[in-house]
Amino acid sequence: MSDLIRTRRSFLTLGGMGMLLTGCGRGAIQGSIENTLYTLSDPLNRTFEQLIFSPSKLAQEFQANEVNPESLLINTAEDNTPTVNLDQYRLTVKGLVNNPLNLSLRDIRALPYKSTTIRHICVEGWDAITQWGGVPLVEVLKKAQPTSEARYVFFRSADGFVNDQGQRSGFYETWDMASCVHPQTLLAYEKNKKPLPIENGAPIRLASPIKLGYKQIKWVTEIILVATIPTQAGYWVDLGYEWYGGV
Amino acid sequence: MTTAKVNGVAKRPSGFQQALAAKIFHWVNIISVFAMMGSGLQIYNANPVFGGRAGLHFPSELLLGGWLGGARHWHFFFMWFFGLNLLWYGIYIFFTKRWKNRYVGSNDIKAIRESSNAKRRNYAFHRIVYTSMIPILLLALLTGLGMFKPVQFDWILGIFGSWEALRIMHFISVPIFLVLTTLHSLMALKVGEWKLVRSMFT
Repeated sequence: MSDLIRTRRSFLTLGGMGMLLTGCGRGAIQGSIENTLYTLSDPLNRTFEQLIFSPSKLAQEFQANEVNPESLLINTAEDNTPTVNLDQYRLTVKGLVNNPLNLSLRDIRALPYKSTTIRHICVEGWDAITQWGGVPLVEVLKKAQPTSEARYVFFRSADGFVNDQGQRSGFYETWDMASCVHPQTLLAYEKNKKPLPIENGAPIRLASPIKLGYKQIKWVTEIILVATIPTQAGYWVDLGYEWYGGV
Repeated sequence: MTTAKVNGVAKRPSGFQQALAAKIFHWVNIISVFAMMGSGLQIYNANPVFGGRAGLHFPSELLLGGWLGGARHWHFFFMWFFGLNLLWYGIYIFFTKRWKNRYVGSNDIKAIRESSNAKRRNYAFHRIVYTSMIPILLLALLTGLGMFKPVQFDWILGIFGSWEALRIMHFISVPIFLVLTTLHSLMALKVGEWKLVRSMFT
C-alpha cells in the first residue's frame, strides 16, 4: 500500500505542477507565491471557518421540483470509475474507535435513512440542487464509538483512478469531526430518488451541504478515525485546494 | 470659494493634506482590491457566471494565481486586508465624524443643481463618485461573504434571492468599481491636479 501511495504522490506532484504551468507562463514563481499566501493565511482561515461553523445550523432544504439533475457536473479527473463488486463490498470503520465496523450494503441500508435536498456547491462556483438519500454519517460514527482522541475522519475510496502511466490509485479525504457529525452529512446511496450512479460515487459517497464538492469523496470503502490530519489530507487537497473546504 | 476651503484644509491654503489614516486606508484598499479582482476573475474563469464552462473567459494577463486553487489562495489571503481595512476605516470615519464632511452631502447635490461655479460643481461631482465607491466595496464584501459561507451566513443568500443572483452581484461589483475608480482618478486630477493625487499617495 505504501508503494501505491508513493507512486501516486509523485504523480500528484507532477499533476499539480502541470496545472500550475498551464495556467500561466511563469509557473514556478507563481506557484511559490500561491504557496506562500496559502501557508500564511490558511491556519487563520481554517480556524476562523471552524469557529463560525455551527454544527446545529442546518443548510436550506429544497422542494423536489427545485432539483435540477443536469446541473450536477462531474469532474473530468474522476472519469475513471472503479469497478465495485456489490456483493463483496464492505465499508470498514476503524482507527480511534471502540467498536470497529465492517458493514455490507445491506447493513448500511438497515441503518436510519435520511433524505436531504440541498444545494451542492462546487469550488468552481456552480451550484446544483440535489437530493441525496442515505445514512447520516453521525449514525455510523455513533455505532463505532469514537475514542476521546478522535478529532478527524479519514476516508478512503475504492481504487479506481488510472493516471496517464496506467497506474491505478484511489481517492481519499480528511474531514474535521464537527462537519462529520453535522445532521445533513450523509453516506449517500441515493441521488435524486434513484440508486446512486457509479459516476456519482456508488455504492457509497459522502454528500453534504456544508462542504465544497471536492471534499465529498465518492466510492467510500474505509473510514478511519484519527487524531491529526494525515500528510496526505485529500486527493484534491494534495493537488493544492485548501483542506477545510467548508461552506 | 477657494480650493483650500472647499477641501476643508484652510490651515494650509498652499496645498492638500490627508489624514494618515485616510492614506493608509487608501493604499491598503487599492492593493487588496486589485489582488481580489485579479484572483476573483481567475476564479470566475473556472466556471463563468455567464455561459458556464463554455462562457467568455478573461485573458490570463489580467489574472492572479495561475489556476483556480492558486487564485483562491490569493483571494482568501487578501480578503482579510480588504475586509478588515473597510471595517476599521468605517469605525474611524464614524467616530471622527469624517462621514459628515468628507463624503457627499446635501450641499453637494445643491451645488450641482444650482451652482454656476464649475469648480464647485466638479468638486461636488467628485465627492459623489468617491462616496459611491464605499457601497460598492461593501457590496463586494457582502456578496463575497455570502458565497464564502452560504450556510453559516444564509441571510446574505436570502437578501439576494438565489445563488446565481449572488454570483452575478459579486461579479458586477468589479466593472462598477473600475468605472468609479477611473472617474475618481480623472475627477481628482480635475479638482486638485497632481497636488491632490500626491497628497493621498504620499
